[in-house]
Amino acid sequence: MSAQKDCEFLVKRARELVSDDPCAAKAWLITARTLYPTDFNIQYEMYIIERNAERTASAGRLLYDMFINFPDQPIVWREIAVITAALRSDSQEKHAQFLRALFETLPGRVQCEMLLKATEQCFNTLEKAEMLLLLLKRFPESVVQHGVNLGETLLEAEVSENVESPVNCFRKLFVCDVLPLVISNMDMRLPASLMQKYILKAAEFYIGYVTRGPSADMQIQGSQDGATLKSPGVSRGSQRYVIDGLSEKSSVVAEPWERLLDVLTMVGARCEWQGDKGQRSYIDMLQRVKELCRYLPGLEGETRSRYYSQVVICAALVLFRSAFLYVSAVQPSLFQGVAGITSGPWILVEDLSLVYSDVEVDRGMLKHTHKKRKLADGREKTMSSDDEEGLGKGRGRHILVNKTEMPNWSETLESFRTARESWDLLHSHDGLEAEFKKICSAWKTESWLWFRIFVTDMIIYQGHYRKALSSLHQMAAVQQPQPPQQSPTGQASLEHHRALIQQASCHYALGEYRMACEKLLDVVSGLVPPNSELTKATEDHSRIKSKTRKGNDLRLLPCTTRAVLPFCLQLMLACFKLRAFTDSRDDLSLGHVVVLLQLDWPQGEILFLKAVDKICQQGSFQYENFFNYVTNIDMLEEFAYLRTPEGGRIQLELLPNQGMLIKHHTVTRGITKGVKEDFRLAMERQVSRCGENLLSVLHRFCINEKIIIVQSLP
Amino acid sequence: MGDIRQSLLPRDVLSAAKELLYHLDIYICNMVQSGRQPPQVDTKTLDLIEEFILHTPKDRNAPVRRMSALQELQLLEIMCSCFQEQSRDTVRQLMFSALFNLQGNQADESRMALLSKLVSMAVAVGRVPILECAATWLQRTHRVYCVRLAQVLVDDYCSMVPGSGPTLQNIHSASPRFCCQFITAVTTLYDLTSEELTPPLELLQMIVSWIQDDHRLVLITFLNSPLSGSQPLSSLDVTPLGGLIRWCVKAPLAYRRDRKPTSSDGSSDGAPDAARLFSALHLSVLQVFMLLPTILNEKGLFGRLALLQMESVAALTSDLSRLLDQADKHTHAATADAHAASQLALDRLAQALQVAMASGALLCSREDLRAICSRLPHNNLLQLVLSGPVMYYNNIHTPPLAYSPHAAHSPIPSHAAIPTLPAHTPHTPLATHPASHAQYPAQPFMSGMPFPFRPGH
Repeated sequence: MSAQKDCEFLVKRARELVSDDPCAAKAWLITARTLYPTDFNIQYEMYIIERNAERTASAGRLLYDMFINFPDQPIVWREIAVITAALRSDSQEKHAQFLRALFETLPGRVQCEMLLKATEQCFNTLEKAEMLLLLLKRFPESVVQHGVNLGETLLEAEVSENVESPVNCFRKLFVCDVLPLVISNMDMRLPASLMQKYILKAAEFYIGYVTRGPSADMQIQGSQDGATLKSPGVSRGSQRYVIDGLSEKSSVVAEPWERLLDVLTMVGARCEWQGDKGQRSYIDMLQRVKELCRYLPGLEGETRSRYYSQVVICAALVLFRSAFLYVSAVQPSLFQGVAGITSGPWILVEDLSLVYSDVEVDRGMLKHTHKKRKLADGREKTMSSDDEEGLGKGRGRHILVNKTEMPNWSETLESFRTARESWDLLHSHDGLEAEFKKICSAWKTESWLWFRIFVTDMIIYQGHYRKALSSLHQMAAVQQPQPPQQSPTGQASLEHHRALIQQASCHYALGEYRMACEKLLDVVSGLVPPNSELTKATEDHSRIKSKTRKGNDLRLLPCTTRAVLPFCLQLMLACFKLRAFTDSRDDLSLGHVVVLLQLDWPQGEILFLKAVDKICQQGSFQYENFFNYVTNIDMLEEFAYLRTPEGGRIQLELLPNQGMLIKHHTVTRGITKGVKEDFRLAMERQVSRCGENLLSVLHRFCINEKIIIVQSLP
Repeated sequence: MGDIRQSLLPRDVLSAAKELLYHLDIYICNMVQSGRQPPQVDTKTLDLIEEFILHTPKDRNAPVRRMSALQELQLLEIMCSCFQEQSRDTVRQLMFSALFNLQGNQADESRMALLSKLVSMAVAVGRVPILECAATWLQRTHRVYCVRLAQVLVDDYCSMVPGSGPTLQNIHSASPRFCCQFITAVTTLYDLTSEELTPPLELLQMIVSWIQDDHRLVLITFLNSPLSGSQPLSSLDVTPLGGLIRWCVKAPLAYRRDRKPTSSDGSSDGAPDAARLFSALHLSVLQVFMLLPTILNEKGLFGRLALLQMESVAALTSDLSRLLDQADKHTHAATADAHAASQLALDRLAQALQVAMASGALLCSREDLRAICSRLPHNNLLQLVLSGPVMYYNNIHTPPLAYSPHAAHSPIPSHAAIPTLPAHTPHTPLATHPASHAQYPAQPFMSGMPFPFRPGH
C-alpha cells in the first residue's frame, strides 16, 4: 500500500461528504492531515473547503500553513496570484473582498514574504510594480530595500515600453505611490542628484496631468451634447479620463498641484534647501528663492550648485503653475471638454479705448516710444528691432479686463504676474537660465501649446512685438487648425482667429498698419455680425478710467463676435487715424475714418469734428463710398450742411463715379444741377437707412472694400 | 461558636439560618486573616451548619425543624446575596466548602438538595461567584454527585420548563469554568445506553454551540488546574473530551435505535437535526485536539499527560462492538442504513483515536489500539489508523516537516516490524512508488488478525 493511495482515499472521502455534511468532510481531512502531515493535497482540500465557504480566518490559517509548508507548490502560487490580484484591484465584488480580508488575516511577516515572492513570479512590469507597492505600503521597512529599485524599474519601463507621454501608468505609480514612500522614509540616504531627478519626474507628471487636453471620447461626447447642454451627464462626462494601463479610478489624481508641493517640500527638507521649513504655498516659495538669488553671486562649488537647483526647480514650478492658471482662464478649451466651458477664450491685445481721443495724444505717445520714426510724410518706418524699447515699455503696463465678464480676473492677472516674475527670475543669471533650459528641453516644453500661449502673452506684455509675432507664427504651426464645423457656435473658428487678432494687434503696436489691417480683415471676413446692436456698457466702463491711462495698456478681449468685431473696427480706425490727420491730404483715409467713427457714436465726435475741420480747410472732399457706409444721421446732417453756403460750399464728391459725371457734364449747362439733385436724393435715401444694423454695415465695409483699405496703407 | 447554638435555638428557622450564615462569614474572615494553616472549618461549625441550615436532626430527640417552601426560597436568596457580596475569593470558597462539601453523613442528602437549588437559582439570576464555587465543587466531588447536580440543571432548564434553555445557555459567558464542568458532568451522565440516558436535543444544541464558539472552553478546567494528578480519584475527568467522543461515536447507533418507533409513524424530525449536531460536535472535538500539542508543549506535558485515558477508550470500543453486535442481531438483515450508521460510528472512532494520538491526548502505541479494537468490524479508515501511515512516503513535493509535533512522540510500531519480514525487499524510498507498492506486505503485523486490507480503493 502506498501513502499516496491512502491520501487519495482520504481526500476522496472528504470530497464525497463536503456537500452533504461539511463537518464530516473536515473531520476526515483533519484526521488525514495527522496521518500524512506532509501531503499537500490534503491541506489544499481543507483550504478549498474554507475558501469556498468564505470563512476568512480558517482559510487564512490554512493558506498560511500551505505557504510555509509547501512553498514550491504551483497551486499555492496560483492561489496567491489570485489573492494579490484582488488586493491590487479596487473591485467591490464580494469574492474579491473576501480574498482581501483573507490576506489581512495572515501575519505581517507572511504577507510580506507572500508579496515578495508573488512579485518575483510576475512578469508584467506594471503588475509587478503594483505588487511590490502593496508590499512597500504595508511594510515601511521594506522601502529601504526595494523603494529605489522599484522607482528605477518604473522609470526604465517608460523607456523600454516606448511610452511617449509623461502621464503614463508607470510614471503615475512612481510619482503618486512610490516616490512619497521613498522620500518620506527617514532611514534612507538618497543623493541630492537623485532627489532632483525624482522631483523633476514628479513635476513633469503632475504638469502633464493637469494640462492634459480633453480626452478624445470626451470631445465626441461634448459635440454630441452640444445641442442639449443642460443634460446632467455632461459635467460628469467631462471628468472621465483614463491613463492607459490603469483603471478609471486609479487614473484620478486629486489635487495635483498640492501633491506636487508636498513632494517638493519633502525633497527640499531632504536636500537641505535653504529656509525650507514647511513651505505653505507656491507664492511663499517664489519669495524664498527670490531672496536666495541675492546670495548666488557670492557662492561657489557645491553650495552654489545646491542653491542653483533649489532656485531653478522652485521658480520653474511656480512658473508652470502660474502660467497654467493664467492660460486655463484665458484659453479654457485646452483643458476642458467643449461642454464644460463657461467662459470663452480671452485675447491679450493692445488696449484701444483711447482710439477716439484727439490725434495729438496719439502722436505724442508715438513720438515718445517710436522716437526714431520719421513722421514727415506721415509714414512710419518700422524699427528693425523693438527690443530695447520693449523692455522699457514692459514696466508697469496695465491689463484691462471687463470684471463682470471675467469674475476671476484678479486671480488670473495675479497668476500672469507671478508667472512673469518667475520667468524673469529664471533668466536673471546665466547659470539659472542654463539649468532652466535643460528642464525645458527635457520636458519638450516648446511643444506645449498652452505654455506657448503664456510665453507669447508675456512677450507681448514685455513689448517685444517682433518676437511675439514669430512666436505666434510658431504657435500656428503647433496648433492643428480646427475644422469650423466642430463647434456649432462658431467658437472654434473664433479661437482659430485668436492668433490672427493678436498678430494684428502686434503689427499695430509696431506701426505696421498695413499688416495689421490685412490680419484684422482676415478675421472680420470670418465673422458673422451679430443681429442686435451692441450694448455700450463695456465701453462706458472703460471710458471712466481713460483719463489715467497712458496709452500703452493692454486689454484682455473676450473672444466672441460681439467683442472681436468692434475691436477689429477700432483697430482699423487706429491704423488710419494718424494717416488721415497728417498735414498732407489723404481723402481715402479720412473717409475710412469717418465710416469707422460711426461705431460707438458719439464717442468719436471730437475726431469727426476734426475731420470736418480738415475737409473745410481743404475745401473739397472725395470719398465715393460715403453713401454706401455712412448711415449716421448726425454725420449725414453735417455733410449736408457743408454743401450749403453757410457750411462753406464745400465741394463734396461722395457718389460713386461722381468725378466722371462732373467731367462728362461740363460741356452741358445745368449739369451741376443734376449732380446736386443726385446728392439730395442720395442723402434722402441715406436718412431712411439710419435704422440699419451698424455692425452689418461696417462688416460689409470691411468685406467689400478690403482691397482698397489695404492698398490705402503704405 | 458553642454559645451561638444557644442563641440560634430560640430563633425561627429562617432567622437562625441567616444568623448562622452571618457568623460563618465573620468566622471565616477571621480565620483567613489570621493566616491559620490549613484554613479549615472546625467540626463544631460544620455541625451547626447541618443543624441550622440543612436541618438534619442532631439526635433522635431533637425536634425536626423544617422550612416552608417560601422560607427555603428566602434562604436561597440570602445565600445568593451573601456569596455575591463577599468580595474575597478565598472566603467565598471556604464558605461554599463548609456548606456543601460532602461529609459522608446523613446530612449529605439535604446538602445535595440545597446545593442543587442554589446552583439552579444562580444559573437563573446569573450569580457568577456561586457558579465559580460550584465549578470548583464539581472538580473535587465524586462524579456520582456531580452527575446528580447536572441532572437537576438539565431537568430544570431543558425538561421541566420549555423555553428556559437560553437561561442555561448563558453560563457559557457567565462562568466558562462552570460551563466546562457542566459539560463534563452531562457527558458522564448521558452515556447513550438507553433512551433516558440520551441527551435532550436542546442540551445537545447548547453544547455544540458553546464549543463551536470557543474550542478552548472544553479545556478550561485543564488549563486552570495547576498540576496534573491533583484531581481526587473518582472525580470527573479533567476535560469532557472522553465523554464527547463517546457521544459522537455512539450517536449514529443510539439515535438509529431511538428513531425506530418514530419512523413507523413517519415523523422523525429530531433525528436529522441530531445527526447534524453530532457531526459538528465531532468536528469540534477533533479541532480541540488540534489545539493540544501547543498547550501541552507550553506546559511541558507533551507525552506525559494523557487527557484521554486508555481505559475509557477501551470501554468505548468494547461498548461499541457490543452495540454493533446487538444492532446486527436486531435488524437481522443488514440494511444499507444500518450499515452506514455503523460505518459512521467506526469512522468517528478511527478519527478520534488518530487525532487524539497525534495531538498527544492519547498515549499509547498503535499496537495497543489494535488490541482494544480487535473485536470491531472492518472499516477502511480504522484499518488505516490502526496500521498507521506508510512511512516511506514519496511525496516529491514535500520535504519532512517540522510541523508535526506528534511525529516525535507517537511511536509507530508497525514499521518497526517491516524490516524483519522475510518477504520484504530492502526499500529505497524513491524506487518504491507507486507501482512497486505491491511488494510491501499489506499488513505485516496483522497476520492472523481480522484486518485483511488497507482501504480498498
